[in-house]
Amino acid sequence: MNISLLSQLAWRNLWRNHRRTFIMLSAITIGVWAMIFMTALMRGMVDQMVENGLNTFTGHIQIHHENYLDDPAINNSLPYPGPELIAELNNSPAWTTRVRVPAVVNSERESRGVMLMGIESEKEKALSFLADSIVEGRYLKAEKEKGVLIGKKLAEKLETELGKRIVIMSQDPDNNIVDVGVRIVGIYQAELRATEEQFIFLDQGYTQKILGIKNQISEIETREENFRDLAARKTVIESKLEQNQKIQDWRHLNKLLAATLGMMDGFVLIWMLVVFIALSFGLVNTLIMAVFERTREFGLMLSLGMKPRLILSQVLFESLFLLVLGLTLGTGLAWLAIKPMESGIDISVVAEGMAKMGVGATLYPSLETRDILTANLIVILLGVSASFLPAFKASRLKPIEAMNVN
Amino acid sequence: MFKSLLQCSGLLLCLILLSLNSHTLLAQAAEPPTESTPEIQAKAILKAAIDNWRGMSSYSEMTMRIHRPDWERSVSMRGWTRGDKDSLVRVTAPKKDIGTGTLTLDKGMWTFSPKVNRVIKVPSSMMNQSWMGSDFSNKDISKADEIVHSYSHKLTAIHEQDGHKVYEIEAIPHEDAAVVWGKQVIRVRDDHVMLSEAFYDQDGILVKRMDTLEIQELDGRPVATRQRMLDIEEEDHWTEIILHTVDFNIELADSVFTLSNLRNPRD
Repeated sequence: MNISLLSQLAWRNLWRNHRRTFIMLSAITIGVWAMIFMTALMRGMVDQMVENGLNTFTGHIQIHHENYLDDPAINNSLPYPGPELIAELNNSPAWTTRVRVPAVVNSERESRGVMLMGIESEKEKALSFLADSIVEGRYLKAEKEKGVLIGKKLAEKLETELGKRIVIMSQDPDNNIVDVGVRIVGIYQAELRATEEQFIFLDQGYTQKILGIKNQISEIETREENFRDLAARKTVIESKLEQNQKIQDWRHLNKLLAATLGMMDGFVLIWMLVVFIALSFGLVNTLIMAVFERTREFGLMLSLGMKPRLILSQVLFESLFLLVLGLTLGTGLAWLAIKPMESGIDISVVAEGMAKMGVGATLYPSLETRDILTANLIVILLGVSASFLPAFKASRLKPIEAMNVN
Repeated sequence: MFKSLLQCSGLLLCLILLSLNSHTLLAQAAEPPTESTPEIQAKAILKAAIDNWRGMSSYSEMTMRIHRPDWERSVSMRGWTRGDKDSLVRVTAPKKDIGTGTLTLDKGMWTFSPKVNRVIKVPSSMMNQSWMGSDFSNKDISKADEIVHSYSHKLTAIHEQDGHKVYEIEAIPHEDAAVVWGKQVIRVRDDHVMLSEAFYDQDGILVKRMDTLEIQELDGRPVATRQRMLDIEEEDHWTEIILHTVDFNIELADSVFTLSNLRNPRD
């Protein structure tokens, strides 16, 4: 007996009881839809976390003094890169340097601990969200800038506003207190309120003057073509560094982010398996019912000389068709559901909670081919294996007994 | 400026000192040359006071009363000052705080607490925190002659009060001065007792004010013996410093203003 006949038989059997088939089909469709749709949402969330994380002054690769990460003090700074290192850094799509030291800002009524960032305003534009996020006032000028940029949330906490003066206090390399009054020239808004409270920005040269660290910086940051594969680039840049300088990629600088990304793959798989297990009960049950109903029929076929192997194949084919149909519909539905949402889903209702996870108020679902493939493979492979039990039962029927079932 | 003086250490101490020196000051400040502008006059009044006070030393005993709507506490202290930079304040009561001290030298400020038996350098992050729970900040205590150098001054009024001339000086911080206030208004009597200092925010709203409530003759000079720092925005929040005794121009060993003396008092 050839396969085309077998599959024809299976296909027709499928539609003998179309109500049952439709119910099972919709179960599979919804299951697959849920697998793919939810995965796309989760992926979107994690992608955004990574993007936000890298945009928030992490970048792809950073260079520090070897002790800076353990103790971000002003003493652990490095000299501004020399010509050789600059030449190498220019091979990256973008790079910049920053002074980054802890400081305290005071207004008339409040004071807050912050991270004082001395930035190169032009270069910074390519590396972080800052330049595009000014909601009041202006960005830092390239030259002779003595104003400060602060976050919207920080301005609220300090009860101050654009155009007013605040006092910044920090320490110079000899542990003396340095302080200076600066005028707020711009207010920025970040995806996360925590960021708005954490960072304030001054011109780099002015920061160095205040802190008494001529030409010293805390970090060099680069952005590369692809944030997933940085090993080669790291080695090249590392060869140009001084002895006490250390190079690290974002996975090291933001371990939480790296771990989250790694965990996500495991998470997706578990989620799909859970949905499948729920699905498989329905599937196996349906097939067992179908086999019971046709016990007489199978007995007749066996008596006429059909090999048990072919009976088994026939039932498996039935299950396969059901699964393939369900998968096609489910995947298609998921695609239809996600496409219109790719421009972003407004989740500002729960923005506060999401912010705690590092996600903004808009969710961008991300439909990845490998997730669709995983979902389909899981359902087909495990689905067919689960159908093996009823199929095996059908093939092992004794012809006489089977024919005598009323 | 007076404020800064105050701040310099046993805040009040300094103040007091200022007021004391009146004699010479009067000559310089009270009769400013007629051709000078009000700005120069104002600065001269402040500067003369500081110059005169610089190099002086003092020993004083005082009580600080911190008042809140639901509680009040008093701390007794002894203080030493020398010049406008060095000062040492040590708590003598209540019992549980005995030995707690604050030392300010040129640019640094240290505190000692017997409970943890450690001298701690006050980091910049704590400069704006309250000094011993009062309405003064660590910065108030440690900053010295800032008000002369970091502000531009204007003599806004001169009037008579109780037979004294009172100068009203408006001080506006320079653009990059490490001062959060929009302006300060200081009233000084011609015998160099500071009558009040008001702190305004950048919208011109009064935030806090220091008033002199009592003036007495101590060690031969008029001194503000009771001063109150009033938090305008919190009802019934104030800190008062009451000066009991003061000795001026005394000999103080260099060892007084050292970290080891802060930790292990030798007096």
